[in-house]
Amino acid sequence: MESLVRLSFYFFAAATIALVTSAACYLVYAVGRIRLRHTALTTSAGTTVVSHGASLEPASLGIGRFATLLAWFGVAFQGISILLRTIAAGRLPLSNMYEFSSTFILLAGLVYLVFERWYGVRQLGAIVLPLIVAMATYVWLLPSDLREVDALIPALQNRPLMTIHVSMAILAYATFAVAFAAAVLFLIANRWRVTWLPGPDLLDDLAFRAVTIGFPALSLVLILGSVWAYRAWGTYWQWDPKETSALFTWLIYGVYLHTRSLRGWRGNRSAAILLVAFAAVVFTYFGNYIFGGLHAYGGV
Amino acid sequence: MTHVSLDRPAVNPRALPELVVDRIWRFFCSVRAAIAEIAILALLVLAGTLRGSSVPRTIADTLPFATPLVERWYAWDVFRSLPFASILTVLAVAIAICTINRAPGIWQAIAHPTVVTTHGFLRNAETSATFASALSAPELASQLQDALRAGRYRTIGEERSGEVHLYADRWRYSRLATFPFHLALIMILAGGIVGAAWGFRDNDFIIPEGSVRELGHGTGLTVRLDDFSEVYREDGTPLVYRSDVTIMKNGDTVNTGSMTVNNPLTFGDVVFYQSGFGQAVALKIEDSAGEVLFDDALPLGPFQSKLNPDAPAARMDLVPAGVAMSIVAPDENPANAPELDTLRLRPGDMFFMIRPLGADSPIAAPIGATVSQGESIELGDLSLTFVRERRFSVLQVARNPGIPLFIAASVLLVGGLAVTFYFPHRRIRAIVSPTPGGSEAQLAPVARRDWSAKRVFEQVAGDVGRRIGLESHLRMNEPSPIGEASYRVVAPP
Ligand code: HEM
Repeated sequence: MESLVRLSFYFFAAATIALVTSAACYLVYAVGRIRLRHTALTTSAGTTVVSHGASLEPASLGIGRFATLLAWFGVAFQGISILLRTIAAGRLPLSNMYEFSSTFILLAGLVYLVFERWYGVRQLGAIVLPLIVAMATYVWLLPSDLREVDALIPALQNRPLMTIHVSMAILAYATFAVAFAAAVLFLIANRWRVTWLPGPDLLDDLAFRAVTIGFPALSLVLILGSVWAYRAWGTYWQWDPKETSALFTWLIYGVYLHTRSLRGWRGNRSAAILLVAFAAVVFTYFGNYIFGGLHAYGGV
Repeated sequence: MTHVSLDRPAVNPRALPELVVDRIWRFFCSVRAAIAEIAILALLVLAGTLRGSSVPRTIADTLPFATPLVERWYAWDVFRSLPFASILTVLAVAIAICTINRAPGIWQAIAHPTVVTTHGFLRNAETSATFASALSAPELASQLQDALRAGRYRTIGEERSGEVHLYADRWRYSRLATFPFHLALIMILAGGIVGAAWGFRDNDFIIPEGSVRELGHGTGLTVRLDDFSEVYREDGTPLVYRSDVTIMKNGDTVNTGSMTVNNPLTFGDVVFYQSGFGQAVALKIEDSAGEVLFDDALPLGPFQSKLNPDAPAARMDLVPAGVAMSIVAPDENPANAPELDTLRLRPGDMFFMIRPLGADSPIAAPIGATVSQGESIELGDLSLTFVRERRFSVLQVARNPGIPLFIAASVLLVGGLAVTFYFPHRRIRAIVSPTPGGSEAQLAPVARRDWSAKRVFEQVAGDVGRRIGLESHLRMNEPSPIGEASYRVVAPP
């Protein structure tokens, strides 16, 4: 391995450690503290009755702040890792599952942290960060030869189009992950009314805002993908499974957006659609494993 | 015995068609139906996507009784099926009708919004702001209007029984952005139809180096491949394939250029793509009278010879000579299945064979010979020269008149979305009422359940307060839990 590529990998390792720790802290922060109570009562007959109770209480703000700090560290390390690899390869690392997923980790972390700032909701990290950790685990499990920098096959050599197409896809998936997290938290918050979780209104809006970034990004992915296919293969739409699964995802988010004009549909039903839609995202992301077709290259 | 109610109004015979039309119209206008239509489309797309995967097979393996269903699934070309075309048609019609239906209302909301509101609306708003002032109601209203305008809001005021009703909004024209967006969806479908109806696509337009081929498809173009080159990396993986071509119309050169993968060559609305390449043989064949029957290159590959099915081969009919000719090249990978190779040609050699073609063929049995590059031989009555080995290039040629529609639609689609999402129409309603000490203004956003619109309103209210030098009293109602249609819309029309 070239030394820059190796260094990039070490930074990825550092990012993984920071993100795993951050995910743990976010979880502790969102779940809250379990407080056990013992109450001993002495009855008039002279016996003692002990009652036990457990209750959930908000966790200390400190651990939440610590989670955010660690997440920033993770994102910074991952950013350096991507930067080093970009320098080593002379292009953005977007061309196989190792590179694509590493960039996803960076963008998902960044998008999440931006939303955390905008809305001031830290509890969302308890869902987004574990997702990011799952992705990091996947990257660790990929065959190690993908960590090398390879030259590109001719069909992938159209740099600007490929860069925008793929980075838009990663941006879309990252924002959809945040929308998914907000939907999950919404369903929890709307059902159990945990006092320290953000209000359902805010989560509903947060999910929508995330989709308003992800949906145009996914539209661009489809359009630029078509333009790219047109340049490489001569048709702008081939009904290739990777194309159609992205179209499927796009349509599900289309359904979600329409539910917002049917006022009564907001809330639970919209959130449920977001869960389905995110399943479609995961399906599209990992679809290479079950599809043949034109997108079959790229490390799987 | 049945009782017919006589109280029922007689059905007006003309009402029925109207009723049907009205029903259909309302079906196409309904967002609820649109959701169902998009969901059905999504399901069909999913079925088509999975068809291109191993998922149905896995289902059949785990649930053997599903096998017939899975086989039908694999056999069903979803994207060229009638249900798929129908749902696309229904969606296109729905979008068109929906647009026509909504346009006047949206235009009304932009150009002539309702200004007058109710105290009930302001009271029930989830968030509202109040300003108390010593000024008279019209004076306070005018100050408010100035302050809102400074914040780039359009304001309209109207007096009603001593009170001033205010309406303020921003980015009202973004309400229109939904039209280009939805129109773009129709345009993309139209682009697909136009491309399929008036375009063409030739997936293997093969030209050997130095040869000229007619493109056809009504273009009147002929193409000559001047050169084909390939560049490999050190590790043997391909880096680039390039074809240099001359395009001619009626014998005149109209364009020259080259193409590589991802960099097609465009001439007018015809686009040429590099798609593949292979080996070809340049031949010259004359009959006994010295007449040239063939002087061109023949691509090897599409045909398999029994003499060595592994090797590149070709076949052509020489009808005037009454023979069919086949050509076999040396095996490119002799180590693979050597038992099939009955010819064992050396590199640089070719095997040529003629067979009888038709009833009055001059030959009775096949005649074959191995020929080296540059050599001439006699095969039956024919004299054959193996001029040299060449390469051929496989081009894809396409003309798609739908592309401009597609590009325009893409711009409208992304632009429409961006405007809709990032410049949402913000609206504020207010009533300024006289009080014993002067006047009081109460403002509220039109933003039910829209958290960010409420936040924006709170900012605006703060800014307005600063501009007019009054403290704003923000009031927030605890929002009711979001449920399934758990509340009624109370905003004025
Ligand atoms: C594949 C088809 C369609 C897609 C992908 C699609 C997508 C969208 C998107 C992204 C929005 C913006 C959502 C927002 O402003 O929050 C929207 C809004 C809207 N769409 Fe569609 N749409 C489709 C078909 C239709 C059809 C057939 C109708 C008519 C029945 C329709 C009616 C509407 C309406 C009324 C709105 C405005 C909602 C509002 O202003 O609150 N759409 N659509």
